[in-house]
Amino acid sequence: MKAIVKLLLAVCALCSAAMCAAADPKAALPRVEQVCQACHGMDGNSQIADNPKLGGQYPDYLAKALRDYQSGLRKNPIMAGFVDKLSNQDIENLAAYYASQPAVVVTKH
Amino acid sequence: MPGFAPVADLPPRKRYESSSNMTPATFFSVAAAAFLFPALACAQASAPVGDAAAGSQKTAMCVGCHGIPGWRTAFPEVYKVPKLGGQHESYIVKALQEYRSGARSHPSMRAIATSLSDKDIADLAAYYAGPVSKTASK
Repeated sequence: MKAIVKLLLAVCALCSAAMCAAADPKAALPRVEQVCQACHGMDGNSQIADNPKLGGQYPDYLAKALRDYQSGLRKNPIMAGFVDKLSNQDIENLAAYYASQPAVVVTKH
Repeated sequence: MPGFAPVADLPPRKRYESSSNMTPATFFSVAAAAFLFPALACAQASAPVGDAAAGSQKTAMCVGCHGIPGWRTAFPEVYKVPKLGGQHESYIVKALQEYRSGARSHPSMRAIATSLSDKDIADLAAYYAGPVSKTASK
């Protein structure tokens, strides 16, 4: 019985580690420099009015947006070209990076 | 100016050649374009201009989610709804238009956006993009 419980715990630990790999904002830096910043800025304070400001936005919303571009649920020819090769971990890292920048978007009542 | 012959130096026949060659069809096309162009320009110019003060009176359907720091969606996926204060005006317009047309698919946002006129969208975008109070939640 104890062995079974231990086994189950080990499986759970492995699953949760795989499913919620910790986001690493620094790991996103090369991609931000090469790709994202051209339209969204290094700090997410986009200077182009049609492109959303990302600095300080919620990371789970940013990740959802990237996943939706990837799945085609959200359609934008420019974004579609960039998200194609992103792994789940890349998406979490990018979302964490822009969310950690100084907030240029805030909750307005 | 080299390579540019002043009109006065051209032989008289040459000077009027282009207008004498215009067929009636060409003439009418040009005339139609001349009338249509200002009409199209007007249609472009009539996209409503956002009024932030008017927009602030139209947020009843927005504040329940976007006015609460950290508020999460419940369906079809759980994540925090985006912060809108200080976002680009034209991006907000585009987002609402995409929800209205179905190009963006969130069920609640689609339902809300389909109830908005172009003027409502412009006003709301102007309000959310406009100045943010110092007490606004980061």
